[in-house]
Amino acid sequence: MIDVRRARIDLEAVLDSVRRDDAGAIVLFVGTVRSDEGIRALDYEVYRPMAIKSLTALAEQAKEKFGIAAMSIVHRLGRVPVGGDSVAIACSGGHRAETFAACEWVMDEVKRIVPIWKTDVEGRPKSVRGRR
Amino acid sequence: MQIRLRLFATYREIVGSRGLTWSARDGITLRELVDGIVAKYPRLADHRGSMLLAVNEAIVSPERVLNDGDEVALLPPVSGGAR
Repeated sequence: MIDVRRARIDLEAVLDSVRRDDAGAIVLFVGTVRSDEGIRALDYEVYRPMAIKSLTALAEQAKEKFGIAAMSIVHRLGRVPVGGDSVAIACSGGHRAETFAACEWVMDEVKRIVPIWKTDVEGRPKSVRGRR
Repeated sequence: MQIRLRLFATYREIVGSRGLTWSARDGITLRELVDGIVAKYPRLADHRGSMLLAVNEAIVSPERVLNDGDEVALLPPVSGGAR
């Protein structure tokens, strides 16, 4: 499962998408919006067709590089409030070591090369912010 | 010829649009196209060093010769994923 969507991420569906009878491990990574000072949400902007191509290629590269069974990556688009899930990566493999490694590698690559940009949404009213 | 231009994040804010149609001479390279865009929107000049360039959804060299109808995207450094 590779997707970029405005709707909430169904984590169970992402998890189920990588279940395989020959897998002994599944790693699910969920990136969430942290409540840094003054932040109430993040806006995610995506060059969607290129992001989908890039995520698809990363999942395939991860399979070759780490010998894992399956990889799913779902990223949010638009506004995600503090505490909300912005990205989910699920990975299944024969054993936990390569499965953890693949999941971490893909997350690093998503942040490095996939055309997704985020902007802070501040919680303070504009009039208050303007006086700072 | 006509080039479709896509802009994101900071570049979208500078230009004031997500997308434009740009008229260019035949045989223009991507680098020359971006030179023209930066000339029209000088605030983009500060970002030139970190700008990634894509044609038809693939990152390409600035020396790429463009064709009529190509989609050119100016991409700021990416920042997706978990915070």
